[in-house]
Amino acid sequence: MLKVGIIGAGTMGSMHADCYSEIPSAKVIAIADTRIEAAKRAAEKHSAQALDDIDKLISMKDVDIIDVCLPTPMHKENVLKAASAKKHVFCEKPIARELVDGKEMIEACKKAGVKLMVGHVLRFFQEYVIAKSIIESGAIGKPVMIRSTRAAGHPQGWSNWYSNVQMAGGVPLDLIIHDFDFLRWCFGEVDHLYAKGLTYANVPDVDYSLVTIRFKNGVIAHVEGSWAHISGFFVKLEVAGDGGLFEFDSRTSSPLRVASKTAKGSGGGVEVPQNPVIESPYTTELRHFIKAVEKDEEPPVTGEDALRAIEIAIGALKSMETGKPIVFPLI
Amino acid sequence: MNVRIGILSFAHMHATSYASCLKQMDDVEIVGIYNEDEGQGKTLSQRYGGNFYSNYNKLLDQKLDGVIVCSTNADHKKYVVAAADAGCKHILCEKPIATTVEDAQTMIDRCKANGAELGIAFPCRYIPAVINAKLALDDNSIGKVLAAKTTNHGRMPGGWFIQKEKSGGGAVMDHTPHVVDLLRWFMKSDPVEVYAEIDNKFYNMDIDDTGILTMQFDNGVFATLDTSWSRTKSYPTWGDVTMELVGTDGVISVDSFAQDIDLYSDASGAHWIYWGDNMDFGLVNDFVASVRREKPFQIKGEDGLKALEVAIAAYESAKTKSPVKI
Repeated sequence: MLKVGIIGAGTMGSMHADCYSEIPSAKVIAIADTRIEAAKRAAEKHSAQALDDIDKLISMKDVDIIDVCLPTPMHKENVLKAASAKKHVFCEKPIARELVDGKEMIEACKKAGVKLMVGHVLRFFQEYVIAKSIIESGAIGKPVMIRSTRAAGHPQGWSNWYSNVQMAGGVPLDLIIHDFDFLRWCFGEVDHLYAKGLTYANVPDVDYSLVTIRFKNGVIAHVEGSWAHISGFFVKLEVAGDGGLFEFDSRTSSPLRVASKTAKGSGGGVEVPQNPVIESPYTTELRHFIKAVEKDEEPPVTGEDALRAIEIAIGALKSMETGKPIVFPLI
Repeated sequence: MNVRIGILSFAHMHATSYASCLKQMDDVEIVGIYNEDEGQGKTLSQRYGGNFYSNYNKLLDQKLDGVIVCSTNADHKKYVVAAADAGCKHILCEKPIATTVEDAQTMIDRCKANGAELGIAFPCRYIPAVINAKLALDDNSIGKVLAAKTTNHGRMPGGWFIQKEKSGGGAVMDHTPHVVDLLRWFMKSDPVEVYAEIDNKFYNMDIDDTGILTMQFDNGVFATLDTSWSRTKSYPTWGDVTMELVGTDGVISVDSFAQDIDLYSDASGAHWIYWGDNMDFGLVNDFVASVRREKPFQIKGEDGLKALEVAIAAYESAKTKSPVKI
């Protein structure tokens, strides 16, 4: 039984706690958050200990794994502490705000001999797994042009940190980092990219990016990321090859809709589409991490993968700032 | 009195659509048809009415009220200039206006010198969803526009479209003008810089079949446009015109041809059958109305030139791997 300590009891932290409860060989024994009430809420459900002191959790003797669900700028410090306490680390995406920080985190974990996995959860979403397998099957021939969309309203978080580009890195680093990682997983390394966006435009509660990536293998990808779509969260993927095309849109592939006059959070009669699967992709992701720790294997998403994902996001931010195409690698 | 129309060349397939629209109008007479291919031209004149002319100057001598030019892109200049010189006062030219900026400018100048109105066939301005999107925008429903994501996908058309000397370019030349025109029309703003990734990996021919343009407009808006011939033979429809406009207060999404019925035929496969209004009828009807009223057509030669400039800058950007100023 692997004992897990979660630091950060926001949306992701409390969701991860729920996920671990589905994994027989793992148990959350403590959850820490400087907001003790949040820690208590998440911990209570799983009979775990609630702490307001993150350092104290990291130094707990019987904790094997630290799961870092803190805002991006706090990742590095805490991953380094966890590594030096010889704890295996699961870190939410993006690994860090800056490339040098990500690199330092990877090296620290390597040196400490602990596993590091980063939460690029798209690799565990069934539609994306199947999409990759369709590409590999050759059903659409050689892939040529990819279009992806990840759109939502503007997120609200601790201290409104999502709006602070220095902390969160806006849509490129926090939202379409998912698509960047997925595309790199499918098509390999980036040759160059060009991006336009509103990340530096200071529009209240709106961020939006359009990024065109040219991969080294010649594939072109157009990635849209939006925190401007007040209609709600959705994703789209289209892969066109020289022998066919496939596409999906989460708005039309939703198998269940509930329209209720009384449902909570539906705003009164608003139909809420649902996309239920037996195992949440977040649980699948953590199950793979637990297995990698147990069997002493390399986790399915490595620190290096996470570093390359933020490299693409940082390249996009750099292109927005300079108005120029950015040639890779950056590190 | 009937409006007398002549059609110069059916090289572009849109000509048959325009001709059948004209045929539906009670007060329009297709006086004559000129076509490079005589056999095809005679068949067309039987189908749509009017005489077949093997010499376009002879057709232009027939006191035409309006001329529609649907030749290859490279021949637009030849026919438009001939029509203007022959004294024709209303000319509707298929897009792109020409294959070079110089040709386009010559066409505009010659029409002006002869007192002829040069209009460009951008039928997308007549799609009801597009018109309503513009009304919503004008109504300030999404506040200030900040960004746009657009597509004009299609199938690889083959024929002269893939012969550069006749088309001026592939997917980027073919599919840049429509949406650039819509964005200019919507925002009353011009593109000032273009970056483009262009390639030919769908068909590996000597002409581009793939393009992603990123444009900066003079009102601060940025926009991308996917011009690719990425709709494969097995895809249920020919392509699309889509626009997503992101504003300070909301988003407008246009999927121009989404009014369709999904057909699954054991004999012919899957097809999305469009049932919405015919944009070509709107275009041709408006052209005829402007001829009848002796008024300028709403889409001018200059609009065609502006759209062409973007396509040409996109090719330049792909070549130099850097943004190109317009």
